[in-house]
Amino acid sequence: MEVLEKYEMVIGLEVHCQLLTATKIFAADSNQFGSEPNTNISVITLGHPGTLPKLNRKAVELAVRMGLACRSTITQYNLFARKNYFYPDLPKGYQLSQDKTPVCVGGEVPVRFRDAGGQTLEKAVRLHHIHLEEDAGKSIHEAGQWDTWLDYNRAGTPLIEMVTDPVIRSGEEAAAYLTEVRRLVRYLDICDGNMEEGSLRCDVNISVRLKGEERLGTKVEVKNMNSIRNVQRAIETEFRRQIEAIETGQPIIQETRMFDAATGQTAGMRVKETMNDYRYFPDPDLSPVVISDEWLAEIRAGMPALPKERYEKLLAHYGLPEYDAALISDARELADYFEAVCTRTANYKAASNWIMGPVKAQTSEKNLREQQFPLPADKLAELINLVDSGQVSFSTASQRMFPVLIEQPEKSAEQVAREQNLLQNSNTDSLLALVDEVLAAWPDKVKEYKKGKKGLLGLFVGEVMKKSKGSADPKLTNELIQKSLAL
Amino acid sequence: MSVKTYDSLSQIQNDLAVGAVTCRGLVEHYLRRIEENRHLNVFVAVYAEEALRRADEVDARRQEGKAGRLAGMVIGIKDVLSYTGHGVQAGSRILDGFTAQFTATAVQRVIDEDAIVIGRQNCDEFAMGSSNENSAFGPVRNAADTDRVPGGSSGGSAVAVQAGLCLASLGSDTGGSVRQPAAFCGVVGLKPTYARVSRWGLIAYASSFDCIGPITRSVEDAALLLEVMAGPDEFDSTVSRNEVPAYHALLKENRPLRIGYLREGVESEGVDADIRQKTREALDALQALGHTVEPVDFPLLQHVLPTYYILTTAEASSNLSRFDGVRYGYRSPNATDLESLYKKSRTEGFGDEVRRRILLGTFALSASYYDAYYTKAQQVRRLIKDATDALFAGYDLIATPVTPTTAFRIGEKASDPLQMYLADIFTVQANVAGCPAISVPNGTDRTGLPIGFQLMAAPFREADLLSVAGRLRQRQEVPA
Repeated sequence: MEVLEKYEMVIGLEVHCQLLTATKIFAADSNQFGSEPNTNISVITLGHPGTLPKLNRKAVELAVRMGLACRSTITQYNLFARKNYFYPDLPKGYQLSQDKTPVCVGGEVPVRFRDAGGQTLEKAVRLHHIHLEEDAGKSIHEAGQWDTWLDYNRAGTPLIEMVTDPVIRSGEEAAAYLTEVRRLVRYLDICDGNMEEGSLRCDVNISVRLKGEERLGTKVEVKNMNSIRNVQRAIETEFRRQIEAIETGQPIIQETRMFDAATGQTAGMRVKETMNDYRYFPDPDLSPVVISDEWLAEIRAGMPALPKERYEKLLAHYGLPEYDAALISDARELADYFEAVCTRTANYKAASNWIMGPVKAQTSEKNLREQQFPLPADKLAELINLVDSGQVSFSTASQRMFPVLIEQPEKSAEQVAREQNLLQNSNTDSLLALVDEVLAAWPDKVKEYKKGKKGLLGLFVGEVMKKSKGSADPKLTNELIQKSLAL
Repeated sequence: MSVKTYDSLSQIQNDLAVGAVTCRGLVEHYLRRIEENRHLNVFVAVYAEEALRRADEVDARRQEGKAGRLAGMVIGIKDVLSYTGHGVQAGSRILDGFTAQFTATAVQRVIDEDAIVIGRQNCDEFAMGSSNENSAFGPVRNAADTDRVPGGSSGGSAVAVQAGLCLASLGSDTGGSVRQPAAFCGVVGLKPTYARVSRWGLIAYASSFDCIGPITRSVEDAALLLEVMAGPDEFDSTVSRNEVPAYHALLKENRPLRIGYLREGVESEGVDADIRQKTREALDALQALGHTVEPVDFPLLQHVLPTYYILTTAEASSNLSRFDGVRYGYRSPNATDLESLYKKSRTEGFGDEVRRRILLGTFALSASYYDAYYTKAQQVRRLIKDATDALFAGYDLIATPVTPTTAFRIGEKASDPLQMYLADIFTVQANVAGCPAISVPNGTDRTGLPIGFQLMAAPFREADLLSVAGRLRQRQEVPA
C-alpha cells in the first residue's frame, strides 16, 4: 500500500449522453431505443448519395440546457465539422461533430463525495467543453460467427459529449461526478441517463504521476463500463496497473483499453499502427447554427428547476425536514410526483411520508424513470385526505386500501373504502339504532349485564360490529352501549 | 409525325397550342433521335415507356387547360441527379446497380411543372473532368466532330441538347461543368449563384462549389428552368432564402450595364486566336447594344485554379468516403476482411481521376499539411471572393471566353491532368466566388468548332446575366 501512496491519479472524463429528442439530429427518423434493427432509418441516416443533413434544433436546445445548468459559456455561432474515418457502422465515412466551436465552453459540475478515508469533500469539477455530435450505428458480432451485423437505428442519434478538465483525482470523485451528471440530465429532461442501455456512456482518461510532480504521465483511455460502479472499479484497477508498470520499469503505452466487468481488469485493444488523423473540416452541407439572444433567452426561460432549487423549495415552501427534502429531490420524477400530490392535499408531510414509505417501496428504478408510480398522484392525495378526515386510519389506508387501489386504479379511494367496509362509522345516530337493535335482541343478556355480569359488554360490541359489517368505530360503539345499559 | 427541331419551349408551346404537335409526338421524335445517335454515347438509360406515358398525361392535362409551365419540355438529367426508382451512379462503377430512393428537389420541381424526363445522361465520374472521358460508361462524343470531346463533366447533357436528343438538360457545375461543355457544343449553359438551387439529390463532388444548372438551346429556356428550380427547400439548409425573381419575364429588361472584360481573355497567347477574335466581336456587339465595355484586370486569376483544386479535392475526399462497399453499390468480390473490403472495393470501383482527387484531397486535409494547403486555400478563396465582389462594385457583368481552346480530340489531354485542368481557367472563378455565370454560343472557329462566351454577375444577379445573354444571342442569330 505504501507504493500506491506515493502516486496520484489524474483523470479526465468524457461522458456521452444520448439526447431525448423525438427524431435524429440530422434526419426525421425516429430516435427510439429498442426498435427492430434497421427500422429507424432513412436515406439520410444511411448516407445515400445526394442526401444532406438537416439540423434538429431541439438537440441544440437540450445541449444548451446542459450548458446553462453547468454555467458554461454558450457559443452562439456554431459550426459542425466532419470527423473523417472509415468504419462500417459510420454510414457517411465521417461523423458530424463539433471541432473548433463546441456549443458550451467551460463550466463546472459541483460534487460531494466521501473519499477513501471517509471524509466528505465538496468540489466543483471543471468542464473543458460540451459539444454536439451524431452517434454511429451498431456493429453486432455474434459469438463464434465471422460475420458482422449492422444496425443503423442508432446512427444519427443526437449526443452531447461532456469533457472535463483533467481535474479528477479519485474513483470516488469520478463516481460522484457521474452521479451528479446523471441526476442533472434527468432533471433537465435531456437524457434518460441509462448506462446499461448505453444512453449515458463514460470514457476515462487516466494517467498517474508521483505526488508533487507537475508533468502529466502517459494517458490511457479506458472504455466499456456500463455502470458508475464499474467506472470506479476500472479507475482503481487501472491506477494499480499503471503504478505496477512504472515500478517495474515497463513503459505505459498511450492506448485504449477495454474494461472487463467479469474480471475487473482492463485489457489493451489492438495497438493502432498510427494515430488516427480525423481530418476535421467544417461541414459545407450544413449552414452555421446561430443561437440568437432571443433563442437563448427562450431556452433559459424554459429551464426546468435544478436539484438544488427543488431541494430548497421542499424545505421552504412545503416545510419538509432536510432528510425528506434530500430524499425526494434526489430524483426529479419523485419531486414532480410529490408536488403533484401536494396540489390535492395540504398535508405535505403526510405526502412525504407516503412517498418515502409505501410508494418508494413499490417503485423500481425503471418505474421511477418512466414515472410509473404505484398510484397516480390524485389517488394518493385521496388516501391522505381520507386518513386526515378520520374516516380510515393510516394503517388501514396503507395496508388494506393501498394494495387494492394498485390493483383497481379506476376506483376512487372512498369507493374502495366503502366496498371493503373500511370507513369508520362515526355517525352516532345510525350507530345508536344498531345498539338499540342489538340490546332488544338480547333481553336476557341485558338483564344479566345489569345484574353485574359486565363481561357481556364485549358480546354487545361484537354484535354491533357484525351488524355494521365492521364499519362501526369500536371506541364509539363501546361508549354508546355503556350509556344505553346505564339507563 | 415528323417533328422539326425546336430551339425553345415557347416555339413548342405555340405548336402545341395550334395542334401542330403533341407531347407524345415530341417524345417519339426525341426517342428516335436518341436511337439514331447511339454512337454519341449520350444516354446511359432511356426512360422510353415512362416518357411516353407522361407525354399522354401532359397532353390530357393540356386539353383540360391544366398543364404546367414546362409542358412540352422534354429533358435529360445528368447521371448525378437522384430520380426515385431510377438508377443513378455518377458515371461510376462504385454505384453499379444503385437505384435512387428519392428525387432531387430540382428534378421534382421541373416534373411538377410537367417537364418530361426522357433519360439519364453520361458524364465524367462524380462530375470530375473536363472532357467526359472519365466515365465508367465510356467517353461521350461531340456531335460537331465525333473525334472530339464534348467537354465535361456534363458532356452527355450538352451533346443531348446540341444533337437535338431532348430540348434541355439538367447538369451540374462545380468548376465549369455546365458552361465548358455548353461552349464546346454550341449551346447555352447556366451556372446559378451558389445556393440558389437546392442540392438535395445532387450527388456531391465538392459541396461548397456544386450547383445544378440548365443546358438549353435558348437563353429563355435557361431562365425558365432556373425560375422553376430555384428557391428555398426544407431538405437543404444551405439554400438561399432570397426571393426568386421572375427571370423569364425579366428577360425583357434592357438597361445599359457596365461590362468589364478580362484582358487575358482577349490578349493572352494561351487563348486560341479565333476565340480571342470572337470574344472581341461579342464585346463590340455588347457595346452596340448600349452597354459600357471596359477592360479589367484580375490579378488573382493565377490563384483561382490551385485554390479550386485544393478545396474541391479536400471536400471530395470526404464526400466520397460513403462509397465503401458496405451498404450499397459495388463491393469487391476479392475482399477477405474489412480493410481489404474498403481497399479493393474503392480501388476497383473508382476510376483514375477520382482516385487521384481523393488522394490529393486527403493529403490537403492531413494533419501535417492542413495549414499549408487547406487553411491557406480557404484564405485565398476568401481573397478571391472579396476581389470578385470588388469587381462587381465597378461592373455589373464580367465577360471572358468560356475556354482557352475549342473542343480537343478524344485522348489528346487524357494523360496530362494539368493541361486538362487549364480548360477550366475562366470558369472556376464563378465557383470559387459563388457567383452566377452563363455560357452562350459565340460562333465557331475556322474548323467549325463551337466557341462560347461567358458572362459572370454578382451573386443573385442572374436576371442581368440572362437579359444581356438573351439579347446577345438574338443579335447573333439575326444574320443566320
